[in-house]
Amino acid sequence: MALRAAVLRHVRVAVQTRGLESNPWFPSGSIRLMSSHDDHLTKEEVADRVLSVIKSFPKVDPSRVTPEVHFQKDLGLDSLDNVEIVMALEEEFKLEIPDKEADKIDSCNLAIEYIHNHPLSS
Amino acid sequence: MQKQVLSLCRGFLRATRSKSPEDRREIESFVSAEFRRNSKQVDRKNFIYIEHLLRRGKKQLEQLNSPDTVGLSSMNVTFSETENPKN
Repeated sequence: MALRAAVLRHVRVAVQTRGLESNPWFPSGSIRLMSSHDDHLTKEEVADRVLSVIKSFPKVDPSRVTPEVHFQKDLGLDSLDNVEIVMALEEEFKLEIPDKEADKIDSCNLAIEYIHNHPLSS
Repeated sequence: MQKQVLSLCRGFLRATRSKSPEDRREIESFVSAEFRRNSKQVDRKNFIYIEHLLRRGKKQLEQLNSPDTVGLSSMNVTFSETENPKN
């Protein structure tokens, strides 16, 4: 009985925190996001989605896109395309990447790394 | 300076997110075409002219950011103003 009560209590708590996550103004939501990895994106998932965003960019030849690819050196893109790709990634993962960080993201690897480490990517 | 240009470009693309999907697509393709065109036509050492474009771009971005600006009319304004870059 005590066990059942404990389990029920646990379940209820889990459901509550899940609901709070969607509220960016509730502090415990973001704390939980940063401390817990059970519902965070896996690196594989991030990599897959990053690759598919880049492959769907009009100027990119999808067959040349690998996780190691550098946007300007390997895909023949320029800095303006780079901006557009990072903006597309922002949208895909519902992030807002500040200019300073966005300027540094010039390859698939860096994009995957940054998004994977970002607590709010979803 | 290149970073300022890229940051302006980013600002424009962010601003389009608040518009309706249709307007957004139009403004987006217009914005990226304009940046692309200027990047090809403008001499990279012509700092005074690039400064001028940057200032004008910032003003246009303010217009686009105001909620009163509905996509299409802002498009026309942007278009007519950037049509003649030599002015």
